[in-house]
Amino acid sequence: MWPRTVEVMLGFWLVASPFIFRHEVPAYWWNDLMAGFVVIVSSLSSHSHKLRGARLVTAAAGAWVLAFGFVSPRPPPAALQNDIVVGLLLLMFAIIPNNASLPPEGWRNPRPPA
Amino acid sequence: MVRDEQSRVAQRTPDAGEVSGLHGGDGSAWDAVAPPWDYNPSEWRQRVPICALAGVAFFIATYMALYQWRLIGSVWDPVFGEQTAHVLDSDVSERMRTLFGIPDAALGALAYLGDAIYGLAGSSRRWQYRPWMTMLFGLDVIPLGIVSAILVVLQGTAVGAWCFLCLVTAAISLTLVWLAYDEIWSCLLYLRRVWKRTRDPALLWRVFWGNPSAAADQVALVKE
Repeated sequence: MWPRTVEVMLGFWLVASPFIFRHEVPAYWWNDLMAGFVVIVSSLSSHSHKLRGARLVTAAAGAWVLAFGFVSPRPPPAALQNDIVVGLLLLMFAIIPNNASLPPEGWRNPRPPA
Repeated sequence: MVRDEQSRVAQRTPDAGEVSGLHGGDGSAWDAVAPPWDYNPSEWRQRVPICALAGVAFFIATYMALYQWRLIGSVWDPVFGEQTAHVLDSDVSERMRTLFGIPDAALGALAYLGDAIYGLAGSSRRWQYRPWMTMLFGLDVIPLGIVSAILVVLQGTAVGAWCFLCLVTAAISLTLVWLAYDEIWSCLLYLRRVWKRTRDPALLWRVFWGNPSAAADQVALVKE
């Protein structure tokens, strides 16, 4: 479950980012705060077995943040370079399923179905 | 927590008409020898060194990215002295930065981190149970590793300056390829056996994404 926990931390980092990098454009503020909030909620939810699909929301938020940072003037300001890095990290972790150290559920059963 | 779950799995009574004797609930059965080797390339002893080495490369690349971001003012090089700074500030590097938006060393650091976390993700039988994850790991380590090693050497010749830490990471990339290829190869051969046995693209697709299949399981440990 460690990827889910790392995602929660990345979500908090996104929420803190506007204050750390002192974003100059209001849109950057809103983007990081909202995306961070979404990531915190989805990655906390995806700790639950029932809501494990929520990691796809985390992945989507990561893709959004990455695209938001990537489509920018060159060189991107610190705010957007941070978005690129955090977006890539979120995507990287959100790909990993829950309980990844165990085989997928179907393969854990004594006898796999035909 | 994982250990608890594994022992719970282990306590399940085996099914009477079991397919191949591999899913008898004994957790250690996940550590099966994978053809064509006489060991299990997905076992932790095989994978953890890869993750540790990728972790070292991650730290080196992050250090160089910190210089490219100018969060640190100078960069260490015991062999080529100032040349490392020339390489890290070169036109090639600037062009990459314009293309991607972040310094190339930061991208490299993320790729090495990917090697480490995809090395850690998956069971000790992921070559059979999660081919997609094994392939993702393989794509990160092998093509990306070879391309980045070539780029580093090209940068040395194109810029006319050498960067000691870049060469270290290139050497690590190639070592990772050498350490990781056995698992990818087992996984590819397994998928090939599944295809040859079933000739069913839909089944192969499901097996690739980690869905169980008795037909696939029957050929999993067959040596060709």
